Amino acid sequence: MTITIALPSKGRMKDDASAIFERAGMKIVAVGNDRSYRGRVEGSDDVEIAFLSASEISRELGNGLIDFGVTGEDLVREGLANADARVEFCARLGFGHADVVVAVPEIWYDVDTMADLGDVAADFRARHGRRLAIATKYWRLTQSHFSGSHGIQLYRIVESLGATEGAPASGSADIIVDITSTGSTLKANHLKILTDGVILRSEACLVRARKAAHDGDPVVARVIAAVRGVL
Amino acid sequence: MALINLPAFADALLADFESLDTLRVDTPVIQPAEPFLAMAGEDLRRRIFMTESETGESLCLRPEFTIPVCLRHIEAVTGTPKRYAYLGEVFRQRREGGNEFYQAGIEDLGDTDTAAADARVVGDAMRVVANRLPGRALSVTLGDQAVFEAVVGACGLPAGWQKRLIHAFGDQKHLQKLLTELAHPRTVGVFGPEVVRLSMDGLLEDEDRLVAHVAETMEATGYSTNASRSPQDIARRLKEKMELANTRLDRKTLDLVGEFLALDVPLADAPAALSAFAKKSGLKLDEALARFDARVAALSTAGADIGAIRYRAAFGRPLDYYTGLVFEVEVAGTHAVLAGGGRFDRLLTLLGAREHIPAVGFSLWLDRIEKAITSQGGVQ
Repeated sequence: MTITIALPSKGRMKDDASAIFERAGMKIVAVGNDRSYRGRVEGSDDVEIAFLSASEISRELGNGLIDFGVTGEDLVREGLANADARVEFCARLGFGHADVVVAVPEIWYDVDTMADLGDVAADFRARHGRRLAIATKYWRLTQSHFSGSHGIQLYRIVESLGATEGAPASGSADIIVDITSTGSTLKANHLKILTDGVILRSEACLVRARKAAHDGDPVVARVIAAVRGVL
Repeated sequence: MALINLPAFADALLADFESLDTLRVDTPVIQPAEPFLAMAGEDLRRRIFMTESETGESLCLRPEFTIPVCLRHIEAVTGTPKRYAYLGEVFRQRREGGNEFYQAGIEDLGDTDTAAADARVVGDAMRVVANRLPGRALSVTLGDQAVFEAVVGACGLPAGWQKRLIHAFGDQKHLQKLLTELAHPRTVGVFGPEVVRLSMDGLLEDEDRLVAHVAETMEATGYSTNASRSPQDIARRLKEKMELANTRLDRKTLDLVGEFLALDVPLADAPAALSAFAKKSGLKLDEALARFDARVAALSTAGADIGAIRYRAAFGRPLDYYTGLVFEVEVAGTHAVLAGGGRFDRLLTLLGAREHIPAVGFSLWLDRIEKAITSQGGVQ
């Protein structure tokens, strides 16, 4: 069977992913010109490459329209309910590192743990007439960390699609849940990560959509073995 | 089944409601989503059906009746007491059962005789369920958040810890985790390095200087001092947190709380069991127990089948507007909750009522009642 692998369509993620596949003996060439969104693996006819945006890759894995994808674990876990039942994380690729974290204003001297945040959230409505507001684009990860792991229910999510770190200073939210790789943007915005506020240590992964047809398929096994072999 | 039709017993149920001296209300199916999310928390978002109006207002399909009925009461300014009844479809994303199903219930607003109103609501719920399932034995579980609050209060814990425990009441896993932490407090990662510096500068002993320092820092870093937590908020809770960090629950008190939470007795025996617990533990629970006993007495007076009711001390709902009574009705020997209710004295003020309105009510899961009727194989 022909299998489809989706790779990030631009930027460092694209270069790093291509480099790993090349080391794994699967050199990727674009079909047509350099900017094409289709590709193939030199020397094998049974693998197609699709170049998609990282968040599309997570969605298409969930829909089962592609067989493999290279994308951030954060996007997969945020995009898909019951991610582990629907996809398999075959290999962690060692690039695209980013932590999804809970960060609060540095000046909140009394808040360093999720338990502190729970106290503040419980009182928030009585003191401020509204719930504690969290700016994030990670709805699912925020909910599972706050209510699933720490029993905190009383907050509101304010959707933020960019410049999330600026929300607390501008007053549009009280705290944030966002990704950070070096922490420098958080620092520049006077935010600190809670000691138990790391929700996910994410990196780029080779992810497989769980499909019955993959069982015993030699091409699927070959791709996984080849990528794992060079890590 | 995509659509659940109106249950066959709907008319009989409405006749019951009418005989129970209630006013039937209906509410729009499409509701503003904000009050539900603000009251029940962000988790609800995944379980309701949301949409948006053309102007960007968040709307949802009615996931339950209590909030719309209370909002309607506040808007109508009709005064209290009022007893409302409803029957209609609600919409929720459920793992089991359909996504649209019927609920019915009673909300009793503004009755200041708490014990009598509690007893009446439990009795009404038992009666209307029993009328649908004649000849079937019911079992009722009853809990009381006020008794737990009194136990925690009498243990002499700092206010911050009391709040944490009360907030977790009803969420057994979280409560257990808090109690363990209270017995073995964490020592690392609790205070950040800034707090150590503040302490060396002597700011922790001087609240005014601390507030001024926080305010200055906020202004210097571009944070508004009034959009979110104020310098006073932060200074006050820092003090509270230092108290929390220095608190360790001793073995004896921890065992007492555990012993209390394990109480599970027939309601008729509960007053004696609670009074024995208070005596043995030396905790002063008089006021909460007097109210508890008054409710049991009111249930007897109202002629409810007390033998079917058990008191379970750990039973509660982790929602901050529930204040006292909670209860659930099942067919004895099964685990499907057919009716659930409780007292929510804080809800109306949270929803914007000007004055305090005590409130108690219950709702019926009509699809589960239908199932129970079918499983018994008979016609009612």
